[in-house]
Amino acid sequence: MFYKNIHTRIKIIILITIFLFVVIIGKVFYIQVIDYKKLNKYATGLWSRNLPLAANRGVIYDTNGVELATNITTTSLVLIPNQIEDKEKVAKDLSEILGVDYDEMYKHVSKKTSIERVHPEGRNLNYEISDKINNLGYDGVYLVKEAKRYYPYDTLLSHTIGFVGIDNQGLSGLELIYDDYLTGSDGSIKYFSDAKGNSLSMSQIYEQPQSGVNMTLTINFKLQEALERELDNAVSQYNPDQALGLVMNPNTGEILAIASRPDFSPSKYQNYKVEEINRNLPIWMTYEPGSTFKIITLASSLEEKIVDLSNDHYFDGGAVTVGGATLHCWKHGGHGEQTYLEVVENSCNPGFVNLGLKLGKETLFKYIDLFGFGKKTGVDLNGESSGILFNVDKIGDLELATTSFGQGVSVTPIQQITAVSAAINGGILYKPYIVKSLNEPETNSVILENNPIAVRKVISDDTSEKVRYALESVVARGTGHNAYIAGYRVGGKTGTAQKVKDGKYLSGNYITSFIGFLPADDPQVIVYIAVDNAKGITQYGGTVAAPIAKNVLMSAIDILDIEKRSDAIEREYLFTDKQYALVPNVVGMSVSDALKELKKFKVEYSGSGDIITYQSPSAGENIYEGETIRLLLSE
Amino acid sequence: MIIVSKIDYRKYFQYSNKILLTCVALLILVLIPGVGTVRNGSRSWFGIGSFGIQPSEFAKLGLIIFTSKYLSNNPNSMKDLKRGVLPILLITLSIFGVIMLQPDFGTGTILVMTIIGLLFVAGLDVKIFLKFGAIGVIGVAALILIAPYRLKRILSFLDPWSDPLGSGFQIIQSLYSIGPGGLFGLGFGNSIQKHFYLPEPQTDFIFSIISEEFGFMGIIILSFLFITIFYNCLKISMKCDNLFGKYLSFGITFGLIFQSVLNLSVVVGLIPVTGVTLPFLSYGGSSLLITMVSIGIILNISRFEK
Repeated sequence: MFYKNIHTRIKIIILITIFLFVVIIGKVFYIQVIDYKKLNKYATGLWSRNLPLAANRGVIYDTNGVELATNITTTSLVLIPNQIEDKEKVAKDLSEILGVDYDEMYKHVSKKTSIERVHPEGRNLNYEISDKINNLGYDGVYLVKEAKRYYPYDTLLSHTIGFVGIDNQGLSGLELIYDDYLTGSDGSIKYFSDAKGNSLSMSQIYEQPQSGVNMTLTINFKLQEALERELDNAVSQYNPDQALGLVMNPNTGEILAIASRPDFSPSKYQNYKVEEINRNLPIWMTYEPGSTFKIITLASSLEEKIVDLSNDHYFDGGAVTVGGATLHCWKHGGHGEQTYLEVVENSCNPGFVNLGLKLGKETLFKYIDLFGFGKKTGVDLNGESSGILFNVDKIGDLELATTSFGQGVSVTPIQQITAVSAAINGGILYKPYIVKSLNEPETNSVILENNPIAVRKVISDDTSEKVRYALESVVARGTGHNAYIAGYRVGGKTGTAQKVKDGKYLSGNYITSFIGFLPADDPQVIVYIAVDNAKGITQYGGTVAAPIAKNVLMSAIDILDIEKRSDAIEREYLFTDKQYALVPNVVGMSVSDALKELKKFKVEYSGSGDIITYQSPSAGENIYEGETIRLLLSE
Repeated sequence: MIIVSKIDYRKYFQYSNKILLTCVALLILVLIPGVGTVRNGSRSWFGIGSFGIQPSEFAKLGLIIFTSKYLSNNPNSMKDLKRGVLPILLITLSIFGVIMLQPDFGTGTILVMTIIGLLFVAGLDVKIFLKFGAIGVIGVAALILIAPYRLKRILSFLDPWSDPLGSGFQIIQSLYSIGPGGLFGLGFGNSIQKHFYLPEPQTDFIFSIISEEFGFMGIIILSFLFITIFYNCLKISMKCDNLFGKYLSFGITFGLIFQSVLNLSVVVGLIPVTGVTLPFLSYGGSSLLITMVSIGIILNISRFEK
């Protein structure tokens, strides 16, 4: 009986034991089967060490697919100190190959870390050095591929694209603004290791790096190249303090080219001053625009119908007195009796003062505001300024008068080109932009696409047409004649702005500018050029900036394939101007006949005989009178 | 084991008092700095080179022998609370107290639970169990209050990820080894966790490594083996005619069962980390030795069966 009692209790214990084991097995089942995925993931993360593989940054293309920023693959040294057995020897060999101090290298190879990099000597290794390191064949010394940003055209578009740092991170410009997109996700080689870092003999896992998103700009590479070249020429010719240029499609707001001088080389950004790198002049610089601003006064006056260009007259006596101050015309003695069209052609200050006073401050400043001055255009670049305007409530007649010919206001080049685009494109103000689209690197599917954004209608089509006519007239007959291109109906306006320093105007130090577009009947391209303090030349917009703009426009004709016009305003020649003449066809003529045809030109021969077999320039080209025609003769 | 199995268990009956006294002496001796070695924060080892002996393990055996003798000498003592139960409990608790000075909570708990198991089998009234159970809970609570690290262990058991590098570290690492084992495991010798991730992979956490290498199927087989051994041991106890032998074999087996369940529950995260080894499987020092001695004693008892 007593034993039975004991045995019953022992049996109870057996049952409890079995029950507890079942509970434990159940828990193991839960961990291994239900919780398996989570724990396995965590555990793999714990056991594996990553050898990083840098991803390519997204490529930046121009509008036609030219690569403006791309990647080159380089090699970097990676040390896994725990796997290095003979630390002294490895340190010695590596220090010799890389030219690093031995003690320094020894610190690297014996550092208590899972992965160590030698910075910067062990980054971006060339083939020769990586080959040497590879041949050493030490455990724990590895080379990994890294992607390095490469700018094939170096300084081209440098301010806008920006640059990246040593870790391929965007530091300025578009590289910074769109860094999240352009940066890819790094891949890795995973290997398994014990808690002390020794690698375990298990298979490695290769995770492919994902390239960043590609970016297409509205920039036209060839036009950009042309603009950069012209600015380079201007710099070598005039040695200005600064120079800048902007080319835009006036019908969409797409920036086709944008450049600043001084520029910089993005791969050696450390060698430049921070201001030089950060100041993307076409959007950052603010200054008095000078006469290019008269386009705004003109457009406002035409829209308000307060002036008839060909029938209303204005007499310029050389100065006008407003609010007690005398404002002089740039031409000493004045332009005399003119139509308002001639006022525009001559860029006559008193004439524009008169228009401004007629408009009144509320109306003029309403238009200045509508054209987008005084606030950022919202272009997709960083570092944009907003410019400075008079406070409308505090404006007197004098301020109104100076504003109407472009003094006492401060604007950015991007504001100017955007506003003038609106004045000539039929009256619509577009928001300028430079990023056309972002595309997935593999599928090329669109992530982001920018389309033209019409901000508002500022003036009517009719007014815009009149503005175009007036500006074409400025180039054909007036101050803009240096930008004239026969047959392509260039419209434009010069500007010569005084610079203000410490509240005073500087003398002999101007920002000369020109804004020009073509063809005037249907503008396809608009160019703005500004040169700050050109030296060795009379500083007028017409003499300095207009020829540069003309060259850019000529390139644009070729690049954008713009058709020649027949109904252009004829060029009027000043007595100092050389005239263009059409080259006639003389191939097949005798020498004496040819000479009669070529009276306006100089002639050079080569070869011998009486029949002309080749001529240069060929028939149909426009060249200056008195220039040389070369003829090839034969029997 | 074989040597011990040849020693007549009735000799323990004879020398039970001396054995217990020796064990208690060793327990006190180990507390003296310089004699006892500190391992993992507890002064509970006699270090002889790399080999260590835990006197608390021997004390457990000694106390089982003593209690078995006491119970077999006074078969009716269970009905008398004052004369039967209290003396045993007092001795048990005082030895527990000495072990807690090391401190070794795990072994102490096993010791107390084993004696309680013995008393249960000896026929102690269930009502008394409930009373002492309540006292026990209060006692455990008190111990936790004395040393806050115990509370931390308990909290870390509830949510090991709250302090992954501190108190939750061991249990997380243990789960990391059990989890990836899956149904069939990574294969013998392929454990990753044993490479310095999991502390004490060959002793306290051997079960984790086994489940990592052999998977769920391995655990089923292992559990089956454990239950088989324990079942057979208890069968020996039931067949034994001698009351002392019966109590002795039961006490030893119950100690092993309790220790095993305690270890496995810790490793799979059912209860807080206590730091006890897994009988038969854990490597090292006195744990394996004591297990072998215990089985030896049981084998000897089985020799006297009819």
